[in-house]
Amino acid sequence: MLSRGSLSRLWLFVHATFVVVSCFTDMEPGSGVGVSSQPNGDRFKIEGRAIVPGVKTHDWVSSARVLVEGEEHVGFLRTDGSFAVNDVPSGSYVVEVVTPTYRFEPVRVDITSKGKMRARLVNYIKTSEVIRQPYPLQIRSVGPHSYFMKRETWGWTDFLMNPMVMMMVLPLLIIVLLPKVVNTNDPEMRKEMEQSMNMLNSNPELPDVSELMTKLFSGSKGSSKAGSSSKSSRTVTKRR
Amino acid sequence: KAVAMAKLILLLLNWIFLCCNVAAVFEDQVGKFDWRQQYVGKVRFSHFDSHMQSSKKVLLASESNVFAALNTRTGELFWRHVDKTGPEGNIDALLQHGQDAVLVIGNGHLLRSWDIGVGGMNWEMVLDPGSFRSACLVGHQGAVKHLAVLKKTVISLHYLSNGHQKWVENLPESETVDFQAVYSGGNGEVYALGVVPNSHLAIVVYSLEDGEITKQVSVEAPWLSSIPASCSVISRGLLTCVDSTTMSLYTLDLHLQLEMTQIPLQTLGLDVDPGFRPSLVSHQPNPAHPPLSEFLLQLGPEHHLLLQHNDGQIVTLRDYKPALLASFATAGEKTVVAVMAPKNKTACSINLFSAETGRRLLETTLIFTVDPNGGKPEKLHVQAFLKKDDSVGYRVMVQTEDHTLTFIQQPGRVMWTREEALSDVVTMEMVDLPLTGAQAELEGEFGKKADGLMSMVMKRLSSQLIMLQAWIAHLWKLFYDARKPRSQVKNDVSIENLSRDEFNLQKMMVLVTASGKLFGIDSKTGDILWKHYLENIPLNAAFKLMVQRTTAHFPHPPQCTLLIKDKDTGLATLHVFNPIFGRRSQVTPPALPQPILQSLLLPLMDQDYAKVLLLVDDQYKVSAFPSTKNVLQQLQETASSIFFYLADSGQGRLSGYRLRTDLSTEQVWEVVIPTETQKIVSIKGKRSNEHVHSQGRVMGDRSVLYKYLNPNLLAVVTESTDLHQERSFIGILLIDGVTGRIIHEAVQRKARGPVHVVHSENWVVYEYWSTKSRRNEFSVIELYEGMDLYNSTVFSSLDRPHAPQVLQQSYIFPSSISTMEATLTEKGITSRHLLVGLPSGGILSLPKMFLDPRRPEVISEQSREENLIPYAPELIIRTEWFINYNQTVSRVRGIYTAPSGLESTCLVVAYGLDIYHTRVYPSKQFDVLKDDYDYMLISSVLFALFFATMISKRLAEVKLLNRAWR
Repeated sequence: MLSRGSLSRLWLFVHATFVVVSCFTDMEPGSGVGVSSQPNGDRFKIEGRAIVPGVKTHDWVSSARVLVEGEEHVGFLRTDGSFAVNDVPSGSYVVEVVTPTYRFEPVRVDITSKGKMRARLVNYIKTSEVIRQPYPLQIRSVGPHSYFMKRETWGWTDFLMNPMVMMMVLPLLIIVLLPKVVNTNDPEMRKEMEQSMNMLNSNPELPDVSELMTKLFSGSKGSSKAGSSSKSSRTVTKRR
Repeated sequence: KAVAMAKLILLLLNWIFLCCNVAAVFEDQVGKFDWRQQYVGKVRFSHFDSHMQSSKKVLLASESNVFAALNTRTGELFWRHVDKTGPEGNIDALLQHGQDAVLVIGNGHLLRSWDIGVGGMNWEMVLDPGSFRSACLVGHQGAVKHLAVLKKTVISLHYLSNGHQKWVENLPESETVDFQAVYSGGNGEVYALGVVPNSHLAIVVYSLEDGEITKQVSVEAPWLSSIPASCSVISRGLLTCVDSTTMSLYTLDLHLQLEMTQIPLQTLGLDVDPGFRPSLVSHQPNPAHPPLSEFLLQLGPEHHLLLQHNDGQIVTLRDYKPALLASFATAGEKTVVAVMAPKNKTACSINLFSAETGRRLLETTLIFTVDPNGGKPEKLHVQAFLKKDDSVGYRVMVQTEDHTLTFIQQPGRVMWTREEALSDVVTMEMVDLPLTGAQAELEGEFGKKADGLMSMVMKRLSSQLIMLQAWIAHLWKLFYDARKPRSQVKNDVSIENLSRDEFNLQKMMVLVTASGKLFGIDSKTGDILWKHYLENIPLNAAFKLMVQRTTAHFPHPPQCTLLIKDKDTGLATLHVFNPIFGRRSQVTPPALPQPILQSLLLPLMDQDYAKVLLLVDDQYKVSAFPSTKNVLQQLQETASSIFFYLADSGQGRLSGYRLRTDLSTEQVWEVVIPTETQKIVSIKGKRSNEHVHSQGRVMGDRSVLYKYLNPNLLAVVTESTDLHQERSFIGILLIDGVTGRIIHEAVQRKARGPVHVVHSENWVVYEYWSTKSRRNEFSVIELYEGMDLYNSTVFSSLDRPHAPQVLQQSYIFPSSISTMEATLTEKGITSRHLLVGLPSGGILSLPKMFLDPRRPEVISEQSREENLIPYAPELIIRTEWFINYNQTVSRVRGIYTAPSGLESTCLVVAYGLDIYHTRVYPSKQFDVLKDDYDYMLISSVLFALFFATMISKRLAEVKLLNRAWR
């Protein structure tokens, strides 16, 4: 079946990487292979310190916990940010500092049956890849958790760069600026423009939409009175 | 002109921008429709922080292995530390001194000291093995610097400041003597008290300095069996015991005497209630000083005495009868006794007495109202303080049998109540709220049969009138409230005015807790609207809550049935109640004399619209509830189509049965899973209220891949009995519950549990631990019928000749998980998400899209067309997907999902130590306007456009005129 095939291929891939990597790294005995916990086997202590740069430990330690492989082993933080998780049998564990506010990267800690410790980066895909981390653990917060999606806020640039707005603003500019740049009173120019318009408007019989619109709007009211009065005032200002 | 116009437009635009900036103030949904309640569990130890006069802290250590500090003013948490569950995190003792609180954890395995101000840990110390017996603070010369821990065979002394061991000594003759108590009176000596049951008492005195045994005596005490139960040290080292068989008090001066002095209770004029085991309580306010010479003696369930040891004589200072509870408390130099006495059926009165004289202190009466739906008072925690005039004031925290904490101030004002039973929710349901009268009227109009046009019109008019009336009343209330100051307007939610909202988003949460207390909580606010404590619930009871009748069948009241089953005997009882009011229903549930194996809620309804509950007993006989004639008749008619299954994990047997018309059963199929190699850990069917909207998936080439939607499909999970990491495996069996046909079988090698399963629609998602790669993995199985559907109208398990196509894919998950559930919506149109409870307290909403076995390894045109995400081995946890942001839910045990009236919205309740409720929108809010919908922007744009047309029209006119003049 399709699924089985893909799955087994994944397994093969993982297996292959396992073999390859284990050739390169010096495997400490028992570190790569999780040793099942014997009831009377030796118990060890995972130690370390969690640091949130720029924040006093008193402000966050009360809500923090150290989780070793889920909730299999639980540790608490001391008032100075250090921690120790007691009673951990030998094996390989993912150690994580969890707080609701700050984010910490998990670390994998390998404990040999003799109690030798080492810490390395967590890599779930290449499980035996070793990128060493300091031990006792020094876990530095990556920053506060980002829980919230940013709401779409409005800004000048957002608005102006909006294609719809661009489409509206550009013709507006053309309408406003074009008469300034090009002298429409020049008969030659007018002729040229008319020609180009005719070129665009291949069918001269069809009424122009813009014309239609202006007719529609201007013909609605008896605008002559208001128009004339305003016009006279305008002319006055113009003559001044 | 044109420039002026442009400026105007710019100005206008500017104004629009300003407006939208105002409207788009960063707005979070925090606390808008979600709430969280945090609990600690049943309180085992409590300690009021009294080292500072103004302290508002009370320390609580609970049976759920939680240590917390509460604010005594509000009842809210300052901080809380949640340890491992089980005996390893069990809190054995709580000792407080000044700013430090020391816990003995895990049967004396660990000592942990906390800074109660910060809530951080001072130190943690692993102790030598040995089972814990007792611990006490040891003071010397007025200062407390040590603590002593007594174990079965050793006694050790530790520094309070860093936990280091000062000395550790073996206890002499620990094979025969059972050492049970440790005591120190502040004179530089530590006493270990042991007993050889029914023979003698052993006393070993250690020097504080070096742990040398300075004295070792054994005293005849043939009547003594347990020291903590019947003995206590009072005064300057006077061991006092009480014995019910000889009806005597015994005293022994630990420094001088070698024999116990017997004081028969009769000489004091006292008598023990028959059958009652008397007990002694002494009080040592400061570990550096000897205990008080006064002590409390309880002689009966309602009989307490305050006694005093005075010059070798025992004197009765006060006889409290009736008295439910009595407790010492110290404020400054003064010690008082608080005594709770029953007043009447619904109230108790608490009074304060001076410990020295036994005299009642004036104006110290406090009334505690006993909740008729709660339990009896169990413990009295007293916070005493000195008032300005040097008299003693107090507040009490009453702990009742139903794990409720009530903090009361004089003269009986309840400052806060905490329902700690809610820390252990077992099961829950969400019930629709009833319609209001007006809504019901309107609904009724459509429900009834038509009786003439005229009357219909009249009915419509009258209902419209009622609605108008309600609306006017609402407006009047708004107007009336608006005149009052904001603080006085209360949003009082009570059961009476609860009604369904437009989109059915507000519901009644019915929660069943392990203690046997039931709660009704308003899902909108989190207020507890009703509570009901069921007494006599067996300790290991299993609960199953069923909604037999919803609120939709007015005037019949809604009805819920709780099946309570004793796991040991299998005997069950039914509690039938109204989920809206919490009251026991009028309907009398049937008595169930036989152990119950299985219960099933049928979709059949009786004439009163109650769904039929079938109970299968150990004789495979079926009884119905309700069992009216109508029901039995319906059952007879439909018996041939009623199938059920039974699972016996002990014998690895799964068997299917069918109902006969005479309500007996016959076995149809049986699947046996060999118990030597594997055991059944869970069986998951599909939820009955689940709807699947689309029958298939449209593929890239426009053909349809039909889903295999078998409502009778069961997902059976097995785990191997061999836990060796090379040989362990988990298995998934998909079995048809009617025919017993095994649809699919999958085995995951080198994997072990705990397995979490979600079974819905045509897919099963499960999570397990891969022992080989030491990581958590998700696997998804999807079932498809193929390109054409066999009998598209109805699904019958008995008539499906083709086996479904099975697709499976697995993924790595970078965290272990606590629980898992899928979202659920009204019609199943909205895409599904998986809600994953993580040990960190987050609840991750993982789109099902990521768990799709059709995710391609190589992207093709078709897969792109289908919107399939290319396969990636690792699933990613994004904190943006946490539906509960920083409101972590500790020890999440279950997630309950319920559809709302809106297709886009799913109601979610996560419960564990905390309870969290929120709404999720798996496909965003497509059917309502978004929260941040910009009304301002849209209206201002509309206005702007309107003005712009006006202006441009005017300008156009002017221009035309100008042209005409030219």
